[in-house]
Amino acid sequence: MVATAATASLFPISSSQPDSAKNSGKHGGSFGNVDPRGLKSKSRSSNGLQVKTNAQAPAKVNGTRIGVMDGLKTDDNVTSGAPRTFINQLPDWSMLLAAITTIFLAAEKQWMMLDWKTKRPDMLADLDPFGFGRIVEDGFVFRQNFSIRSYEIGADRTASVETLMNHLQETALNHVKNAGLLGDGFGSTPEMSKRNLFWVVTKMQVLVDRYPTWGDVVQVDTWVAASGKNSMRRDWLVRDCKTGEILTRASSNWVMMNKVTRRLSKIPDEVRTEIEQYFVDTPPVIDDDSIKLPKLDEHTADHVRNGLTPKWSDLDVNQHVNNVKYVGWILESAPQRVVENYELASITLEYRRECMKDSVLQSLTSLLGGDATVATGVIDCQHLLRLEGGGGEIVKGRTKWRPKYANRFKNINHFPTESG
Amino acid sequence: MISTATFTSIRNAISTHSRFTSIRPQTVRRVAPVINQQANGVAAAGLKEMDKSLADRFRLGSLTEDGLSYKERFIIRCYEVGINKTATVETIANLLQEVGGNHAQSVGFSTDGFATTTTMRKLHLIWVTARMHIEIYRYPAWSDVIEIETWCQGEGRIGTRRDWILKDFANGEVIGRATSKWVMMNEDTRRLQKVSDDVRDEYLIFCPKELRLAFPEENNNSLKKIRKLEDPAEYSRLGLVPRRADLDMNKHVNNVTYIGWVLESIPQEVIDTHELQSITLDYRRECQHDDIVDSLTTLELLDISSNGSVASKENGDKLSKFLHLLRSSGDGLEINRGRTEWRKKPVRK
Repeated sequence: MVATAATASLFPISSSQPDSAKNSGKHGGSFGNVDPRGLKSKSRSSNGLQVKTNAQAPAKVNGTRIGVMDGLKTDDNVTSGAPRTFINQLPDWSMLLAAITTIFLAAEKQWMMLDWKTKRPDMLADLDPFGFGRIVEDGFVFRQNFSIRSYEIGADRTASVETLMNHLQETALNHVKNAGLLGDGFGSTPEMSKRNLFWVVTKMQVLVDRYPTWGDVVQVDTWVAASGKNSMRRDWLVRDCKTGEILTRASSNWVMMNKVTRRLSKIPDEVRTEIEQYFVDTPPVIDDDSIKLPKLDEHTADHVRNGLTPKWSDLDVNQHVNNVKYVGWILESAPQRVVENYELASITLEYRRECMKDSVLQSLTSLLGGDATVATGVIDCQHLLRLEGGGGEIVKGRTKWRPKYANRFKNINHFPTESG
Repeated sequence: MISTATFTSIRNAISTHSRFTSIRPQTVRRVAPVINQQANGVAAAGLKEMDKSLADRFRLGSLTEDGLSYKERFIIRCYEVGINKTATVETIANLLQEVGGNHAQSVGFSTDGFATTTTMRKLHLIWVTARMHIEIYRYPAWSDVIEIETWCQGEGRIGTRRDWILKDFANGEVIGRATSKWVMMNEDTRRLQKVSDDVRDEYLIFCPKELRLAFPEENNNSLKKIRKLEDPAEYSRLGLVPRRADLDMNKHVNNVTYIGWVLESIPQEVIDTHELQSITLDYRRECQHDDIVDSLTTLELLDISSNGSVASKENGDKLSKFLHLLRSSGDGLEINRGRTEWRKKPVRK
């Protein structure tokens, strides 16, 4: 009991950045200089040391170790200045444990963090409150946290499926960026940019077990894998930060297209070298859903919505419609009674053609299985998004819906509370 | 080099050890999340303890020391960035709304998204936006962190005002300011109502006593009256329809959607070469899922007293200024009127 209390007093663990570890090593007696939110680091450290984060992780490892070692030498001086209680008179092995701990944690953090924002010194790396994300699992998985903001929730107070897909897109980009593979800014590696190649998503599958609500924090893991000879698969796993419960699984398929010729391209060897090292050898998180669907047009569709046009805010930097926006349009033609009483359990999208600012689109939906689905409580829909006037197909989709409150009763503590 | 396995075992040892400390609970929590699958039992125990403060810690906002304003930090995500590679004005408006809501929640107002006080809820009163004015001096880019400070104050007998200041968290530079005026409306009758003293007292304790304005300068744009533009408008975008995602929890069109609609009728040449410096919107009428909206835009001409070359788009301060009108497609009733100012895009790498 006494020993553990002593260790706690010397325990510098409370801060989690490499530099703070150095600081804490120096202030053996003072507690960490990071408060619960970890964002105000002023004036707690007795020496008022400036904490500087360093963007070059590998070089810093040595620097940190040395720093801590130096700090240890001054530890005795610091502790001797503290009030002389029985805790301070304990043998040095507890201090040694603290020192060893510091070293290991600092070094571990260096291995975990590959990319630092140099301008923001007071960040909690492991909790990643801003959501910068970091590479984990020996460099293969990228992990980022998102707190659900108020404008990301839908009418039923849960995050919309578009919000979830936006998060997936964000982690994908950050993964590429953190791995040092960001070429010309939105997904192409340097070798790809040289050849005017960019990634195009061909298929996307999302399976939602539970939707998060306002204020929830989700943790998104993403990784890439090979998929056939010339395409790449990217998978995601979304967990609730608090409970670790899996909320969503997603899998996507990507091929390469030439920017200039707009034709699909094989993966060149130089690009393969760049990206192969990141491929994970795991099966997809979702089994491929490749059921042949009947042809969908105005005559076979149950619901049609015309006149859908992209707004400025729907466009990405290339002035193409962002992938995620298609989901919103698809759901526009879902019948009102489905949207009101059911929640989307899974969605599968096949991207066919791109769409620009002045396209006018038509969204068609057909309920598969008709009345039979009412009994099982699961609704199956088929979707088509295409250019108006019988033009080209933009996206084909398939959705499964389950009754809205089924899950809510399973997890009572997530039941939305009305404010009084 | 030390292997990951050794790391993990050491980590486990440390965390088990530190779990027994009662002095610094935060100490335990910081270690717990780093553990992954191998140490689930320990992680779970650590995580449970985190429950209460996790939400607080991830909510990167807090009341300032004097309790009279609220600050929060946000990271700009890639999907909030537009064709200019910078955050869109709608993203900024969403964040303003988010921080306003979080402020209200942190002082104990309702968490249903409407920031109503207890008395207001008893009397079926809600706040509605009357005017919104946003000025952005520099747009943040993807993965920038911005800090927004917000506070509210009473304004006359019928309204309240909420102000914001946006700063780049990295260097403290002010990148934008905003102000909004709110009035109280009866939820059932949809009629405006005076702010009674008991309601006023409920929220005024959280407001600065002295007048604090985001726009303290005289004759600033946030107070300018917006003229109704004349038919026919120079530019228009007809038949805009609210999407499901545009509706708030009350099935009304979200305030921010109107901004998007106003921008829809700005001509392509302006969008390509200019960026929005300021936008002022007067909200007149609300809009629901089955409404169809027309968006109209006209250059705001200088007053008659100038020797105005009517053809010139730019005046002394080199800004392009436009008047806007959003109206219901069918009956022509005014929904919003607005005013925007655009500056030439800065040269970007």
